[in-house]
Amino acid sequence: MLDGITRRIERTRTVAARATALPLLVRGGIALAFVLALLVAWPSALTSTRYVVLLGLAGVYPAIAPRGRGVTFAVLVVVGGWILDTTWYDARVALWRVLSLAALLYVGHTLAALAAVLPYDALVNVDVVGGWLVRALLVVLISAVLTVITLGLTAELAGGAFLVATLVGLAAAVAVTLLLGRLLRRS
Amino acid sequence: MTAIEPPSLRAAVPPPASAADEGWAAPAWVPTRALGRTVLLTGLLLVLGVALGRVDLVLLAAPFAIGAAIGLRRMPRSAPELTVDAAEEHIVEGGEVGAGLTVANPDVIPYDLVVVRTRTSPWLDLPDADRPFAVTVAPDGWTAVELPGRATRWGRHEVGPAAARVAACGGLLACRPVVTPARRVRVYPETEPFAATEAMPAAAGLVGNHRSRRPGEGGELAGVRPFAPGDRLRRIDWRVSLRTRDLHVASTLSDRDAEVLLLLDVLGEAGASGGVKGRASVLDTTVRAAAAIAEHYLQRGDRVSLMEYGSSARRLRAATGRRQYLTVLEWLLDVRADTGDQGPHEHVFGAHHVSSDALVVVLTPLVDPRSADMLAGLTQSGRFTVAVDTLPAGAAPPNRSTWTPLATRLWRMERENVLGRLREHGVPVVTWAGAGSLDLVLRDVSRLASAPRGR
Repeated sequence: MLDGITRRIERTRTVAARATALPLLVRGGIALAFVLALLVAWPSALTSTRYVVLLGLAGVYPAIAPRGRGVTFAVLVVVGGWILDTTWYDARVALWRVLSLAALLYVGHTLAALAAVLPYDALVNVDVVGGWLVRALLVVLISAVLTVITLGLTAELAGGAFLVATLVGLAAAVAVTLLLGRLLRRS
Repeated sequence: MTAIEPPSLRAAVPPPASAADEGWAAPAWVPTRALGRTVLLTGLLLVLGVALGRVDLVLLAAPFAIGAAIGLRRMPRSAPELTVDAAEEHIVEGGEVGAGLTVANPDVIPYDLVVVRTRTSPWLDLPDADRPFAVTVAPDGWTAVELPGRATRWGRHEVGPAAARVAACGGLLACRPVVTPARRVRVYPETEPFAATEAMPAAAGLVGNHRSRRPGEGGELAGVRPFAPGDRLRRIDWRVSLRTRDLHVASTLSDRDAEVLLLLDVLGEAGASGGVKGRASVLDTTVRAAAAIAEHYLQRGDRVSLMEYGSSARRLRAATGRRQYLTVLEWLLDVRADTGDQGPHEHVFGAHHVSSDALVVVLTPLVDPRSADMLAGLTQSGRFTVAVDTLPAGAAPPNRSTWTPLATRLWRMERENVLGRLREHGVPVVTWAGAGSLDLVLRDVSRLASAPRGR
């Protein structure tokens, strides 16, 4: 028991001594993205209490273990908080919240994908992280445009949100099925 | 009546793997957890969006789906190629070493992240070589990672094996690690300056650089004697002939070459090597001294041969010249301590392997009792033997208990005793100290050689 703790402390010390700047920044980015997403998604009534510590832990955990299931868990916690806020607390679906949530979740997810394959002690070329962020930004921009158009359309339809969601959801489900089928055929 | 069917025979050669098997074995690219997460979250958010009639949930799934679509629009097909580059030129310990890793991308899509790492020998001081390197590689291009550094000890040192792991398609697909075997860097020992001015105890050939004790054609003046039939006219000493009114010739000593056998005791290693500028272990001293002695005698035109005293009993035939020096250096790189219990057999190594005229320089730490026996045997068989003590000054066994210092003292006393007995038997033992180390003992050996031989 004591040996295990000593070994773990020794390992942490080695990790701290060997860690390099860019992988640490990437992991910091993951934590920041998820913590911000949690703060945006969860009701302010809860985030102003001491429960925010638990949310913070859920947000920081993917940064510590980006290879595990912590990232999926954090995204689900964010989505759960969002659904809770918009249904139970009856908050309005504001454009800025949807936009920032979508962007933060995707940035956290893609940075976790990078951190999962990037060792903490690697010497990283700046263009690795730069290229990764540029691609993430491109995706965020495209989805932001899509969000603005769709939410605008929903507002104009005024009450046809259910119909729009069904149509968009069905189209997306078909697209994803096609994509998966294509992937399987290729592999 | 039923016909007897021949027994079904089994093919001796295994059948070729089916295309389907190859299809599953071949792909080097595997989906990452990020791809699984993308599919899960997109599906879940879409289902929730449809079920709850919430367009915002569908929009939250949009970046994941768009990111996957952009990332997977083109898939990688071939595995990356990784090569380890290592310097081929002659490197002396303490010198600069150029090593590198090159990752080539034969595919049509860029590699978003390539993590390359390699193992290196502890005797190659390559800064940051113990860290992984993260780079990108353009399609149909390559990226090189330079690993400049310094070699700190002689030997064949490995750079590698190296491994590369590639992530493409925005981290949704990753390649199985590609491993490349190691490349070896040859690092030659730094030879300490060595010069022995003393004459060789015995010369073997008819030509060479050493003045022999026999009269003959040579450069060294031995005296003046009366002319005799057969003497060459150019040998006539006209000054003496005019004075004595009789023909006199200047007689010279013949020049001979000699054979030097360097016998390397590899029965044990002692002392921790600190590299080129640090403490020397037994093998360090052995190899560096052997290189220095070989260089010295080869430059003088002698024939030098080498032999290991150990279970393998490697040997290098006697030869002369610069080519032999390079061969000696190459041969020395493979010197290893003999860790097995199996000792040198009599039929593998014996005094009969040593030329009777050769000067035998035995580089030994005199830790193993078999080494002292071998030295005594060589001397008894009439070989001109010099022992060079290669044990480091402060060498001591690791301190295991309170009795260790006492045991070490006893061992040292016993070793001194062995050295004394060897000297009594006529084996000069000298501690290696670079230039001039062997002068004193060579003088003694020369004196012994001039005495009538035989027992």
